Amino acid sequence: MSAVIQDLVNRPYEAGFVTAIESETAPRGLSEDTIRLISAKKKEPAWLLEFRLDAYRHWLTMTEPKWPNVHYPAIDFQDIIYYAAPKPKKLKSIDEVDPELMRTFEKLGVPMNERAALAGVAVDVIFDSVSVATTYKQKLAEVGIIFCSISEAVADHPDLVRKYLGSVVPTGDNYYAALNSAVFTDGSFCFIPKGVKCPMDLSTYFRINTQDSGQFERTLIVAEEGASVSYLEGCTAPKFDTNQLHAAVVELVAMDNADIKYSTVQNWYAGDENGKGGIFNFVTKRGLCKGANSKISWTQVETGSAITWKYPSCVLLGDNSIGEFYSVALTNHYQQADTGTKMVHIGRNTRSRIISKGISAGHSNNSYRGLVKVGAKADNARNFSQCDSMLIGSTCGANTFPYIQVQNKTAQVEHEASTSKIGEDQLFYFASRGIGAEEAVSMIINGFCKDVFQQLPMEFAVEATKLLGVKLEGSVG
Amino acid sequence: MVQSPFMSALLDGPPASASGTAWFDRLRAQALERANSVPLPTTREEEWRFTDLSPLTRLSFHPATDAVDIGAEAAHALLFPEAHARLVFVDGVLSSALSKLPASAGLHVLDLRQALSEHGSLLERHLGQSVTNESNVFAALNTAFLRHAAVVVVDPGCEVSAPVHVLHVATRREQAHAVYPRTLLIAGKASRCSLIEDFVALGEANYFSAPVSEIVLDADACVSHARLQREAADAFQLGSCSVKQAAGSRYELVNVALGARLSRLDIAVRHDGQGCDTTMAGLALIDRRQLADTHSSVDHAHAQGKLRQLYKCVVGGAAHAVFNGKILVREGAQQTDAGQSCRGLLLSDRARIDAKPQLEIFADDVKCAHGAAIGQLDPDETFYLQTRGLSNERARNLLTYAFAAEVIERIPVATLRSALAKIVLERTQEAA
Repeated sequence: MSAVIQDLVNRPYEAGFVTAIESETAPRGLSEDTIRLISAKKKEPAWLLEFRLDAYRHWLTMTEPKWPNVHYPAIDFQDIIYYAAPKPKKLKSIDEVDPELMRTFEKLGVPMNERAALAGVAVDVIFDSVSVATTYKQKLAEVGIIFCSISEAVADHPDLVRKYLGSVVPTGDNYYAALNSAVFTDGSFCFIPKGVKCPMDLSTYFRINTQDSGQFERTLIVAEEGASVSYLEGCTAPKFDTNQLHAAVVELVAMDNADIKYSTVQNWYAGDENGKGGIFNFVTKRGLCKGANSKISWTQVETGSAITWKYPSCVLLGDNSIGEFYSVALTNHYQQADTGTKMVHIGRNTRSRIISKGISAGHSNNSYRGLVKVGAKADNARNFSQCDSMLIGSTCGANTFPYIQVQNKTAQVEHEASTSKIGEDQLFYFASRGIGAEEAVSMIINGFCKDVFQQLPMEFAVEATKLLGVKLEGSVG
Repeated sequence: MVQSPFMSALLDGPPASASGTAWFDRLRAQALERANSVPLPTTREEEWRFTDLSPLTRLSFHPATDAVDIGAEAAHALLFPEAHARLVFVDGVLSSALSKLPASAGLHVLDLRQALSEHGSLLERHLGQSVTNESNVFAALNTAFLRHAAVVVVDPGCEVSAPVHVLHVATRREQAHAVYPRTLLIAGKASRCSLIEDFVALGEANYFSAPVSEIVLDADACVSHARLQREAADAFQLGSCSVKQAAGSRYELVNVALGARLSRLDIAVRHDGQGCDTTMAGLALIDRRQLADTHSSVDHAHAQGKLRQLYKCVVGGAAHAVFNGKILVREGAQQTDAGQSCRGLLLSDRARIDAKPQLEIFADDVKCAHGAAIGQLDPDETFYLQTRGLSNERARNLLTYAFAAEVIERIPVATLRSALAKIVLERTQEAA
C-alpha cells in the first residue's frame, strides 16, 4: 500500500516547463536606481516613485523576519532581477498573443477565449509582471467596474490608486511588504463602484517565467458601498532549480455593506523530491472591512511553493463586519508552509470564522499560525476557529500556533484543533466496499477538506479537488 | 555585561559559602555564571511577549539569609493535619521548629544539607539537571544562591498516600527581599507519593521569589503534585517546574495562582520513556492589576504517552492572564494521546487574556487536540439559576465559583481543598 502512496506522492510536477520568450530585463540587484528604472519603464507619476523610494528606504532599515517556522538559505536580494517584461508588442486581439505563450496557457488549462467565455471568467493574464491580455473588460466597464492591471490603473485612474494603495498594507508593514512596495512591477486593480454586484467572477492567472526573476505583484481591490465581487487567483510556475522569490501584496478594501470574496489556488513549483528548487512565497494579504456590515472572505488552497509564508488577514473595523478564512494547505517532500490568518476585531458586533486544514506528507512541515484579537471596544465580537491537521507518514510535521488575545469581556472566542491520520481501518473499510487505496485516500482527503472546498467558486473547486488528488493520492500507507 | 540595578542587587548578595561538596559548588558556580551572562527577558522575545517584567526590574531586591520567627500561631493557620511530613521555609530559610520530619521507611524528607550528605550521588544526578535553565535567568539565580531546599526521596516500591507539605512563608521586611525556594522530588521505581507546595505570605510583604521545582519519576512511579501560589499582593513570583518522567510513570499536577502582582510559572514535562501519563490542571484567579502567566510545555519524546491538560482563568479588574500551552510530539512518539483545553472567563471591561495553545507534531499515528474558549458566562445558565430563585448577581457568582471550582476540586487534600474553595468563593463574590 505504501508503495502506491509513494508513487502518487512522487508524481512529477505537471506544469513544469519554460516558455522561451524574449524578455526585457533589468540588471540584477536592487538600488534606488533599479527602482527609478522600474518606475521610468512603467512611465509612472512622481508620487508613485516617491511611494516606492519611501518603501525602499524603510526596507533598508528592516530585518528579515525570523519568527516563522521555516528554514531556508539566506536570500541574496542583490542577485534578483527586479524587472522582466515580455518584449513590448501591440496587441489588437487575443489572437495576436504570442502563440508560444498561448500554448503555455493551454498546457495550464487557463480558461481564455472560448474557454473563458464558457467558464464565464474574465481573465487578466499576468505573464511575468506585465499584463498581456485582458478579456471582458468592456462588459465590466458597462456596469462601471474597473478591472485592469495596476499599471494601467496608475495611468488611467491615478486618484483611485493613490487613495487606496498602501492604505491597508502600509509600505513599512513588514519586510516583504516593504520590498514589494519598492519594486512591484504589476498586478491587478479592481474597483467595484457603489451598489454594483459584479456580474461574473474576476480571475487572474499569475505565472513566473523568466528564470531568477522575482515576482512582486500588487493587487488592489476596492468595493464601494453595497458592491460585491468574487475574485479568483490561480498560480502555476515552471520548473527551475534556483529558488525564486515571490513577495506579493494584496490589499482589499470593503466599504459599507460591501462584500469581497477572494479565492486562491496556489500550485507553484515546490522543488524536487529532495527539496531542491522551488518558489519562496512570502505574501502579505490583508483586507480591511472599513464600512459597517462589510464582509471579506479569503479562501485558499495552497499546494505549491517550497516555502509558503502567508497570512491573509481581515481588519474588522466597521461595526457588524464579517471576516472569514478558509484554507487548505498541503505540503509534501521538503515543502514548508507557515500559513494562517489574522482576525483583528475593532468594531462592534464583528464576527470572524477560521477553518484551516493542513495536510503534511513526506518530509514537509506545515504550520498554522493565526491571531484572533479582540480590541477593548469590540463589543460582542465573535470568533470561531477550527484548525485540523492530517499527517501522512511519520517524517513530516504539523504545528499550530494560534494566538488568542481578548480585551473585551463580551467577546466570545472559540478555538479548536485536532490532528489525525488516514487510518488503516478507514482504508480497510473502503477496500471492503471494493474501493482501492488510491481512490479511498482521495475521498478521505476530499472529505477532510470539504468545509473549505465548499467555499470555492465552482471551477476552482473542481481544480482544487483534482490538484489534491494528484498531489496526494497514494501517499498513505 | 553591564547589569541592570535589579540584577546587580540580586547578584551582589553574599556569595554562597563552600558546601564541602565539590560538584555542588561547581553547579552553583556555573549557575552564577549563567545568571551573570543571560540577559533579562523582554517582551521582544516570543516567550515573553505578553509578560512585561519592567514593573519588577524597576525595583531592587536583596537576598534574605537570616531566619525570622513567625510564631507558632501564625504558622499553625497555614498547616493542615493530613500532612505526613512537612518542611517550612520562612523567607527561604528552613525553620526546623515548624517542620515535621517523621522517620519513616522508604520516604525521606530532608533539607538540602542533610540530603547532600545522605543522598549525595542521587542529588548529583538530579539536582539542577532537569530544569531547563539554560536560558532561564531566574532558575539560574535560584541555583546560584541555593542554600536551602526541600528534598524528597521516595524509595523504589514505597507508597505513601499522605502528602508531603512544603510551605514557603514570606514575611514583611524593611528591605524588599529575594527568595529562592527549591524543591527536588525523586520518586523511585513504582513508588507513589503526594507533594503539596504552598507559597504564602504574612501581611503585605514586598519581595521577589524565584522558585524552582524539579520532579523526577522513575519507571512506573506515580506523583501527585499540587502547587498553590498565594503570594502577597505586591510580590513577584517567577517560577519553574520541571518534570522528568520515565516509562510508565504517572504525574498529576494541580496548579493554582491567586496572588502576586506579577507571577509566571514555566512548567516543562518531558516523557523519557514509553507510556507516560501526565495530567495537569491549572487555575489563575486574578483581579486588580495582577498578571498571571502560565507557560507549559509537554515533550512527548516516546511512544504511547498520554496528556490531559486543563487550564482555566478568571480575570477581573484590570488583570491580565497569559497562557501558552505547548504540546510537542517528536518523531517516533507514536500513539501519543494528548488533549488540552483552555478556558478563560473575563469579568470586567479592562480584563485581558492572551492565550496560545500550541501543537507541534512530528508523528502521524497520534491523537492530539486542543480547544480554547474565551468569553463570559452563558446568559442561558444565569437565566436558569434565576428561574430557580437566585438573583442575577448570585447566579453569576455561583457560576463563576463553579467555573473555578473544577480545578480546585482536584486538590488531593481535603482540608486544603476546602480552604482554597473558601478563598475562591470570597474572591468570586468580590469580583461581581
